[in-house]
Amino acid sequence: MRKYSVLVVDDSKVIRFMIAGILAGTEFEICDSAENSAEAVEKYKLLQPDLVTMDMNLPDGNGIECSRQILAINPKAKIVMISAMKDASLITQGQEAGISSFLQKPVKAQVLIETLQLLAKNGKGTPERVKNAYVKPFMKVLKKNLFTLAGINSKMSLEVNKAEFLEIDGIAVVIGLTGSPVGRAILKMDKETMQKFSQKIVGDQIELSEDEIIDNIEEAANIIVGRGVSVINDSVKDKEMRITPPGTIYGSNIRMDNSNVLSFNITAMTDLGEFKMNVGFAEGE
Amino acid sequence: MDAKLVNPFVDAFTAVMPQIGFQDIKRNKISVCEHAVTSKGVTVLVGFTKEIKGNVAYNMTENTAKLIASTMMMGMPVDQFDDMAQSAISELSNMLTANAATNLSSLGYNVDISTPSLSVGDAFKVKVSSEAYLSVEMDVGGGHLVEIDIAVQ
Repeated sequence: MRKYSVLVVDDSKVIRFMIAGILAGTEFEICDSAENSAEAVEKYKLLQPDLVTMDMNLPDGNGIECSRQILAINPKAKIVMISAMKDASLITQGQEAGISSFLQKPVKAQVLIETLQLLAKNGKGTPERVKNAYVKPFMKVLKKNLFTLAGINSKMSLEVNKAEFLEIDGIAVVIGLTGSPVGRAILKMDKETMQKFSQKIVGDQIELSEDEIIDNIEEAANIIVGRGVSVINDSVKDKEMRITPPGTIYGSNIRMDNSNVLSFNITAMTDLGEFKMNVGFAEGE
Repeated sequence: MDAKLVNPFVDAFTAVMPQIGFQDIKRNKISVCEHAVTSKGVTVLVGFTKEIKGNVAYNMTENTAKLIASTMMMGMPVDQFDDMAQSAISELSNMLTANAATNLSSLGYNVDISTPSLSVGDAFKVKVSSEAYLSVEMDVGGGHLVEIDIAVQ
């Protein structure tokens, strides 16, 4: 089996040691390590490793700047940022620089290995690529179907999710995504929006029970996510994504863990209220 | 739904839990339910699709979730059901469902599973994918119970 070469950039001996421990016995082999930015760039040039793990704080600069220099040498360089902080601005800056993935210290063995495996096999899995290929279709379909189903216009926005959990106050319909990539899509709204939307779908004349309201939201979510997946499958020919049946969560003050997925928040602002969709994929995808 | 579909999930639970440190697993009652599941505090939903479609909910109290997370992490104390503990429970749900998927394939049903969604809250409702579903109560010892709700369309 061919081993993938990894250059580890970190000024801490302990972290270098930990990464070496995680990668021992896997298909990844550390070809060298670098303690600072200048050394990293020089060793990258010399060794042309398959993958780079990058620390944020280096004695002579930061990891983003160092990544820029590496990407200037090879725009296809696959860099995983491993930093103590993993906040939105760091991710945004890093994405713009061309860093492929972001992990937080202390990095879990399985997460690091899986991230490296995905990068090694799939090329540059940047969040930007995930967003364009797998998230934007949902935004378009949500807007279109809110209009088709209930005649409502919406103002859309899309951002990378920064929160560790999603707050649910009202309803959240969870639809699993299988195939490639694996993930989930969640359509959520508050109770008032759910009632108004459900009523709007069937018309004012029909009185709805709470169960029927929930069923309507579930069905709408199923249609929206199903169409989104069809659009994705039409454009990404070599892979097929499928959806699982919906599971629905309702109540108040519910928190859904969102820490192990790379996810995006789509918001549709309408006269009835806000419709929020969170589309997430297993981290590293 | 077909009652024989419950066995792949029960077998998965019985096979996986000892690997993470729970040796004495008992199956309590099995019932057919029709109303939405009421969360005991922590509920993980995992969807599956392909030759059969549905979803499964793993439902437990926060105390049970903390005990399982702690046991999975080699006895590391878990006082708060924090990120680390939540991701342990998500990972367990993933393992259980993946194992059940393998068992289902030996019955001739190939399925793919989705990413788990773990929710925490007070007595919220969880509606699985079919009107009628099977609910199995598993005893992991010390009075700690994990309810597995299986819905197949």
